Amino acid sequence: MALQWSSETFVAELKDLQANAMAVDCLGTQAVLAGKKTLAYVNLENSEEGDDGSNVTRVARQSKWDVNCIQFNPHASHAPLYVTACNTRLDVCQLSDRNGNPVCTLKAHSRIICDVDWSPFDVNVVASCSVDSFTYLWDIREPKKPVHSFQTVAGAYQVKWNKVTNNLFATTHEGDIRIWDPRKGNSPQQYIAAHLSKIHGLDWSPDNQNQFVTASQDGYVKLWDYTNPKKCFGSTDSGAPVRRARYTPFGAGLVTVVVPQLKRGENSLYLWKITKQSDMSPVHTFVGHKDVVLEFQWRKQPEGSRDQQLVTWSRDQSLRIWRIDPNLQRLCGHDGGDSGEVDLTGTSYNSSESTLKDLRDLSLSEPTMEDEMEISVATVTMAQQARSLQQEFSQLNTDIPNITLDQMDPVSRTCRVTGVGGGQKVIMECLFPEAYPNNVSPSFQILTTTLDAAMQSRLLKVLSDTSVKFVRRNNNCLEMCLRQLMSILDSMDDRRSPESEASFTRAPPPIVQATAFNILPMYSLGNFQDSSVPFPRTSGARFSSNGFLVAFGVPAEMKKVSGGAEITPKALSELAAFTQTSWNNTRTNPFSLVFSRSPPTPSSDMSISDFFEKKGRQRSSRHSHSHSLSRRPKRQERYGEKLSSKKQLSVGKVKIYDVEVLVGVNKYLAQHYKMDLDDVEGTCRHNQSAAAAIGRKDLVQTWSIAATMASRKVLPSPVPQMEMPWAMTPCGRPLLKYILDQHGAQFDVQTLAMLCCLFWTPDPPRPRARSQAQVPRSGSKVSLEFTPPNYNPYHTVSSVTGLLKGLRTSKLPSRLIAPFLKCSPCYVLLC
Amino acid sequence: MVSVISSVDTGHEDMIHDAQLDYYGTKLATCSSDRSIKLFDVSSGQQVPIADLRGHEGPVWQLCWAHPMYGSVLASCGYDRKVIIWKETNGSWDKLYEYSNHDSSVNSVCFAPHELGLVLACGSSDGSISVISTTGDGNWDAKKINNAHTIGCNAVSWAPSTSPNALFDQGARQQPAKRFVSGGCDNLVKIWREEDGQWVEDQKLEGHSDWVRDVAWAPSIGLPRNVIATCSQDCRVIIWTNDGTSNHWTSRVLNKFSDVVWHVSWSVTGNILAVSGGDNKVTLWKESVEGQWTCISDVNKGQGQITDQRSSSVEPNYNTRRRLDL
Repeated sequence: MALQWSSETFVAELKDLQANAMAVDCLGTQAVLAGKKTLAYVNLENSEEGDDGSNVTRVARQSKWDVNCIQFNPHASHAPLYVTACNTRLDVCQLSDRNGNPVCTLKAHSRIICDVDWSPFDVNVVASCSVDSFTYLWDIREPKKPVHSFQTVAGAYQVKWNKVTNNLFATTHEGDIRIWDPRKGNSPQQYIAAHLSKIHGLDWSPDNQNQFVTASQDGYVKLWDYTNPKKCFGSTDSGAPVRRARYTPFGAGLVTVVVPQLKRGENSLYLWKITKQSDMSPVHTFVGHKDVVLEFQWRKQPEGSRDQQLVTWSRDQSLRIWRIDPNLQRLCGHDGGDSGEVDLTGTSYNSSESTLKDLRDLSLSEPTMEDEMEISVATVTMAQQARSLQQEFSQLNTDIPNITLDQMDPVSRTCRVTGVGGGQKVIMECLFPEAYPNNVSPSFQILTTTLDAAMQSRLLKVLSDTSVKFVRRNNNCLEMCLRQLMSILDSMDDRRSPESEASFTRAPPPIVQATAFNILPMYSLGNFQDSSVPFPRTSGARFSSNGFLVAFGVPAEMKKVSGGAEITPKALSELAAFTQTSWNNTRTNPFSLVFSRSPPTPSSDMSISDFFEKKGRQRSSRHSHSHSLSRRPKRQERYGEKLSSKKQLSVGKVKIYDVEVLVGVNKYLAQHYKMDLDDVEGTCRHNQSAAAAIGRKDLVQTWSIAATMASRKVLPSPVPQMEMPWAMTPCGRPLLKYILDQHGAQFDVQTLAMLCCLFWTPDPPRPRARSQAQVPRSGSKVSLEFTPPNYNPYHTVSSVTGLLKGLRTSKLPSRLIAPFLKCSPCYVLLC
Repeated sequence: MVSVISSVDTGHEDMIHDAQLDYYGTKLATCSSDRSIKLFDVSSGQQVPIADLRGHEGPVWQLCWAHPMYGSVLASCGYDRKVIIWKETNGSWDKLYEYSNHDSSVNSVCFAPHELGLVLACGSSDGSISVISTTGDGNWDAKKINNAHTIGCNAVSWAPSTSPNALFDQGARQQPAKRFVSGGCDNLVKIWREEDGQWVEDQKLEGHSDWVRDVAWAPSIGLPRNVIATCSQDCRVIIWTNDGTSNHWTSRVLNKFSDVVWHVSWSVTGNILAVSGGDNKVTLWKESVEGQWTCISDVNKGQGQITDQRSSSVEPNYNTRRRLDL
């Protein structure tokens, strides 16, 4: 990588510094690099004089922690002030005479601080965030404690103030963003689930108070408007984790830092243009750094300068300044107002650009912009695919027993594998199509083998099944396929006579054991995030749909190991702690390890029951030991050995309670209620007596009122068939509504449903006959006169919907229903 | 009277994590850290073992019965990142489908209302929620909501299919409401809605100050409201209510318990809530006519008795009724 672009004006190589953080002051005169042992102040003003060391001052620092981040005060009046974050501490220092004089120290975080940001509006306010899940706002005049604190569930990784409006800042938590306003209490103004994995960088727009950009591990750079948290309005996939994305101070552009997947030299900074449609198109690549760019900042330029400068610090321990001339700025949509500039469609717009031709990827040598950009985008995707295969090859765990990888070629997308085992030998070629692993599986070909035809086809089937499983999720599959190959060969080993084994040296058993046709778990050992798995429930109660309550719990003779004082832990990971204290034994593997072994091994099971112990036992180490002894028989029992003398670990019984009486639905009534739409009054009287039989006076009353309402006597009419029943008259309807409201308020579905059905509506005789024929067929249990074969009396409760369906299918003319609907609280029941 | 009608000795070798009765209340399913699921016939008051389902490679956290119109179908989820759907055919239980597209423990499964078809939602510690559905011809389709809850999703529960404002909204009546609620380690309760075949976040309910452990959408008896109960590591149970038409949810803390709350479960009528948690106790809460929540009984499992504390819940408002009789 000797090629360096000529627009890069200044290089300082600071080999021994090992700095992770860099900051440039707001005047553009100083840069600070912070390493573990040394702080280096670099004078950017004299940069043209070259790297003779005269512009670099080093100051030793004594700390066993690295400086995580460093930032200058963005206010010109306090330009020499800077803050460094080192482990849990913030140090505010004043840079004077090329030396940092401590001003104050801010301490409150309990874990490492990930980011700091000075307020662009208040010279004294600085925000800091930490993995301890707190974000603090500090006033450096009162360094004793933070002026504001904000807590979140997850650790905060970035904190950034809005650059346009005061009192607004954003924090990032893994893939999420929260927007805060310190004036509005301690809860965030907005949540945004932005990325699928960790957000490495966030930057607010310099000119729009609602917009910001995020860069994430998932490879995406996304543009957001926080007033619309559901969706980003622009995004681009870099194909590799993006470390930073920041707006350019000119035009509408972004500078991104991509973490290269392979150490191949693409340690580039990219300059992007944000188009009007919020798409991002590549504009320029800054090539020169030999390792990951750790930090970059814009340097303020003297008045009148049309150039912009970007200061970068890379892990290759070099500090570079890149000049961005007005032409490049124009490409980002910047209208510098300088009319005398060369037209962009001219032949060459910068002498320095000519050297760029030699560079591979994203160079923009000829200014026929449109074509050029398409090509460069295409090369990016191609390169990315090749990378992903090459990456897979490079990350492949080649230490699989009995499998040797003879040849891996990411260019022709093939690899050759030799597998030896079970007295057999297979040489295979795997071919990876272009689209692999995006739902396209590789093809496998057996070149030479000692296997018989049946085994060959079986092997190919297993491999293709395995690969399909993985590529369906766009995951790489090679390693899993190789492990499958190995386990198939191994399984043959088991079936063969032992003498065939002698000819091959057997490697130590693999970590992951699996039978030949089981798909191996794709997760590696210890990969579990038990800290996010909730602590298992050991008790619970569930209502069933028929008035039963199922309850289970820990038996009364068991109690928590921890005693009753503290509340039950939150996450499964905390169980390990209990196991270790309660069971002083070598077998203290965390739960995760136990389980990710496949098939599970009996030797190391730790269980939720370790959280409990029998009452009356004292918690001494001796007793803990006996506890472990008492567990052992249980384990043996589990694996088939009969040990009747020891009672197995007591597991509580599951109890089923009949809570019908509480639910307010009665089985007796369900069995004895009657429903006869031809004789509503008689039905009510019958039901009244049914209610009386079980002593439900409230229902007796309801039914007697209902009977009175239904009686034809209350509405003497010459042609009763043509008249509305009394219940529908202006007098009767409010009463009915009142009754229904009362039962509704008590959630008395049983009575409610009965009343609704009875006072449905008087329907003409003919449809009624039809409806009666239909009700039973639909399985409705309205009337007990009809009992379907699999009748369950509890149905009255559980199939409210079924009952309603039955009514619905009875095809009552809707105009007849309509007046009734409005008067009842259970109208929804009817629709 | 509240009484124990059966007491089932499951024979599990490790802690039980869930127990559920099927739709008819005849079959009991239990799951345990011993990686097995056991089924019992409890219709006779005795326990008759039906099956011992083994297929999970880790503790099994939760179960859910499907509506009987799909046959005897049970879903289970566990620490092994799997969701397994089991089905009975001719008396034998087999795996119908296995879903293993989660990257961490699957903590919750819930079948959708039967009107929506055989649809299942599951929430995982990888933060995502999957909605699995079948067309009935053996093909299964899964839609995954990634990053539904930061850190992890602990619980899912479907909304009843009758939407509360179905009467006034013809469109809503045609299509049953397709919504569910979820709770997670980001202390949030989220409501999800299907829109053009995609699941989108409908509401975000903030109220808990620690992990949300369980969520339960109350069954609807047709009253014009939505009710959701949620419980959390912060020892509180919150009842969220919504008038069925607006997007506004009001929250009310049911109670602050002495220990973590793990489970909330609604009675079929939606007026009684069973709450259980780390203190190994079950309490039942009932909403009074005035809308107040009161604890009506304690189920103390050690004694196997429900101590009845209620005074007038059988005949509430008896006086009101008497006045009505004039």
